[in-house]
Amino acid sequence: MLKLFRKPRPNYDALSKLRPPSLEGMDEILGINMRNALIAKYNPRHAIERARDKVAAKVALEAAGIACTGTVAVIDDHQKLGAFKPSRDMPDAWAIKPARGSQGDGILLAVRREGNTWYKGSGAPLTEEAVMHHIQKVVDGGFSGDSAAEDAALIEPLIIADPALSRIVPEGLPDLRVISLHHNPLMAMVRLPTLESDGKANLHQRAIGAGIDMETGRITRAVVKGTPITHHPDTGVNLIGFEIPGWERVLELAAKCGPAVGLGYCGADIVLDVNDGPLVIEVNAHPGIEIQNICQAGLKVRIAATGEDFR
Amino acid sequence: MLSELISTIRRIRERATPQVKRPFYIGLTVGAVIAALVALGIANTEVFFALPSSFEGVATSQAIWGLKPSNLLMVLPLGAFLVVLARSFVGVKAFGLFTPMLIALAFLQIGPVMGPVVLCSSVLTGMIVTPSLLKLRMTRVGFLGVLISLIVLVLVAMQLILDTQLQVDAFPVIVCALCVERWWKQWGKDGAKAAAKMALNTFLLAIVIEFVMVSHFALALIEWSPLLMPAFTAVAIAILGRYRGLRLSEIHRFAPIWLERRRQARQRADADQLELDLEPVDWEERLANAPPLDGIWVISSPEDLAPGRRRRVPQPVTPNKEAQFGPLSGNNGRTMIHNAWIIRSVEDV
Repeated sequence: MLKLFRKPRPNYDALSKLRPPSLEGMDEILGINMRNALIAKYNPRHAIERARDKVAAKVALEAAGIACTGTVAVIDDHQKLGAFKPSRDMPDAWAIKPARGSQGDGILLAVRREGNTWYKGSGAPLTEEAVMHHIQKVVDGGFSGDSAAEDAALIEPLIIADPALSRIVPEGLPDLRVISLHHNPLMAMVRLPTLESDGKANLHQRAIGAGIDMETGRITRAVVKGTPITHHPDTGVNLIGFEIPGWERVLELAAKCGPAVGLGYCGADIVLDVNDGPLVIEVNAHPGIEIQNICQAGLKVRIAATGEDFR
Repeated sequence: MLSELISTIRRIRERATPQVKRPFYIGLTVGAVIAALVALGIANTEVFFALPSSFEGVATSQAIWGLKPSNLLMVLPLGAFLVVLARSFVGVKAFGLFTPMLIALAFLQIGPVMGPVVLCSSVLTGMIVTPSLLKLRMTRVGFLGVLISLIVLVLVAMQLILDTQLQVDAFPVIVCALCVERWWKQWGKDGAKAAAKMALNTFLLAIVIEFVMVSHFALALIEWSPLLMPAFTAVAIAILGRYRGLRLSEIHRFAPIWLERRRQARQRADADQLELDLEPVDWEERLANAPPLDGIWVISSPEDLAPGRRRRVPQPVTPNKEAQFGPLSGNNGRTMIHNAWIIRSVEDV
């Protein structure tokens, strides 16, 4: 079996066919203990810090020539905050993110503009003062967990999803999560927002997680909170067999992300923009292991296929 | 009933892969050892319902379990050891890393029943006032400060009500405040149910640690040599902390994957299997319960194809009419043989 795993680019389909039906002796699931050990082994402290800071990660990714989301402005101190004027400096649609925020806290999105007023996706208006207040709160570290006293506000143009993907979701931006070890993408899923998840691509909030076949880029399985489904509950589109547009490019980006930031084991969050195709939005140094339940496949067996001997 | 359960367990055991078996056995062993120690600890408890004031100046832990206050320090490594076991082998999710251990220590100082009562009342009070505290838009430090004051207020009120002296040092109060904060954060993140579950886990783990700390085993170890306990636990944690296998809770979490794999494997082995059938088909039973095969030829072996072989399923004869067995006669009185042409020789054609 081990000889089989030494191939440089493993063919997962062939692997799954070669597996004995009883799966006797096959350690395939990556547990949290083993994940932590991998992170301790391959993710150095400074790289984790860099990945945690969206601005620093973006700088590193762009230096490696990886397509990232655009940047309108980075406001990291009060001097820049004082010089910033939303009505002059902001485009029509944008996203404000705290550089060190977690789990989508403190992200403000505006989808359109009328004069000096922007509107959120829900239709609620945002005045210039409200926008400045939010940026100030971000800079003061209001969304940065409990460690940082100061933070940077990262302002990006709003990403509009590829029509092929936006057709299958009612609202919100679907994103892809690709787990990779060094330059090997191992497993991928796409998170599809639902009305119940309020347009957020967060699996905890009942967004759909859909496993993707690494070879073909097609969705093989879709799950909402542990229940397998075949069609999107809100749009009724069949998800199984849906092919992610630009899959080769997604894999290429995911393979470069970890080395660019300095992480060995990482999870890249990739979105598909209508104009620019796949763009990296974030690199995660502690990617979760729930993806195994979504894809119904073990990460450990795939990591072993890259030559890792877990010692 | 019981034999059924045993056979189910045996079947599951036979099918489990080593990746499932190993953590399960380890988890079971850990659970058994801890259960034994907890039983020892409970056996060692002389009084459950006692207020600290009733011991006339003697420390609660000494009066109830014979654990000297100076030895409270010695049981701390044991608590840390149990926290490591619970986290990396069982996968218990609790507030904070060593919060359960600190809560257990607080229980030791207040009493086996009074400790939980005091803790629960102060944490619940904290939970009740937190929403209004958050409206004041304080910093985190300010929020925790107010919580600490409130919890002390509750403790003092309980001392007055119960007319006793609760020996509460500084840290249980801070641990309570941190518990309230963690609980509230978790509530906002994952919902009330998940947060309450985590709080319950923390509480139960604290109780388990409390009783293990006062078990005969731990006390004897401390009595024997004060150096033994820290050294023993340090070595044990260093060895067990390298465990990289699955946690017990992860077997449950990823069970769908194994079940799906097994289903696929069985389908590959037996393509006739119904897709959702998880159990192998018991053909004997199926045949016994099947409806009668009316006049159908059953070929169950190659011999059945031999000429002259009786392949028709014997028909059950149910006499419903007398006439069925009597000779059939037509209107003309002649016996009817067949309503068919009978060809016996070439001439008949």
